[in-house]
Amino acid sequence: MVNKTITQGIIILVLFFGIWFGLSRLDFMRYFHVSEARNNTEKKLGDLIWGQISETETIIRNDSVIKAVDKLIVPICEKNGIQRDSLKIHIIKNEEVNAFALPDNHLVIYTGLINKCDKQEAFQGVIGHEIAHLENNHVMKKLSKEIGLSVLLAATTGREAGTILSEIFHLLSSSAYDRSLEEEADMQSVHYLIKANIDPVPLADFMYQLSMEHKLPDNFYWISTHPESEARAKKILDHIKGKKIKKQQILKDAEWLDFKKMTGTL
Amino acid sequence: MIQETTFPYKPSEHECEKASNSYVMSLVAVVAGLPLPIVNLIATFFFFIANRKSTYFVRWHCTQALVSQMALLAMNSVGFWWTISIVFGNENVDNSYFGYIITILVFNLLEFISTMYSAIQTRKGIHVQLWFFGNLTNLICRK
Repeated sequence: MVNKTITQGIIILVLFFGIWFGLSRLDFMRYFHVSEARNNTEKKLGDLIWGQISETETIIRNDSVIKAVDKLIVPICEKNGIQRDSLKIHIIKNEEVNAFALPDNHLVIYTGLINKCDKQEAFQGVIGHEIAHLENNHVMKKLSKEIGLSVLLAATTGREAGTILSEIFHLLSSSAYDRSLEEEADMQSVHYLIKANIDPVPLADFMYQLSMEHKLPDNFYWISTHPESEARAKKILDHIKGKKIKKQQILKDAEWLDFKKMTGTL
Repeated sequence: MIQETTFPYKPSEHECEKASNSYVMSLVAVVAGLPLPIVNLIATFFFFIANRKSTYFVRWHCTQALVSQMALLAMNSVGFWWTISIVFGNENVDNSYFGYIITILVFNLLEFISTMYSAIQTRKGIHVQLWFFGNLTNLICRK
């Protein structure tokens, strides 16, 4: 009786795992159009949010500024196998020290961030951090987690879309991701910089610099929404300790200062 | 899969009703508790506790209903938490996930049908032994 029971139990287990294994070989992702549906939702959301931002904010369309930002970002993309054209980079005139990623690879940079960065490498590090959020699909993960898939779908179908889109914009521009996602983005940004021969130390210094200021004004969004920045800066420094990093500046110091000045006076 | 055998004695009408209720209990709880995989097990467990000093026929069927629910609990819990980690966590949907969900749906459906069949037959006084779970119950349940 005992042996018979054990044999039957094993048969059930084998049957269970066998069916599971067999079904896993089928391409359900294609049958259910999962990737297609995901991309469509993300694209619609990205377009809708960006549409709202572009109506309310001042977008910088100055060629010199766009070219300089491009010059700083292209090496990171090229050396890390990221399609530059896949990123939709927007520069907004705003005093807030902030940059954030939106669905469908929209990356928004505020001029306040450019003005606050003493070194171009710090700016590149922050942008690398946001690119990492995009590349690892953190944006949609965060939205699904905090807002819910059904609400996101409602936003793309137009029902109460305005309110939901404002909520999404607020969530993505002024609140941090999970600590694990933030750390993942930090480390990936450091990898991007190292591969592109850019020194990651200024990124850590930038985090220290902002976290050390006694009282953060309200417009220090990027750092105030990224808690424990001091610990994260330390982690970055620990990570690169002893590594030989080629240090290459994309813009000359004078060019970087001119660029900052230009964005400040626009 | 399902075996109908003769019980050592002929159960009374009252026993048949109670034994049948142990299966009905888990069926009702499945409907009420979806998608939480624990609710039907808790319901069956309390019914089992309430009848642990009942006659052999009633105890036997309460035990069979309980052990068959336990096996499903393990499968469904994995499916439940996997889904939660996809919706609220960092997991991604993939073919393995779909494969798993369909597998547990098949097993749940089989269990649902066999439980329903057991409830009907037991009510008629017919002793029903499920494959594997019947043998397991014979080992656990003492006269």
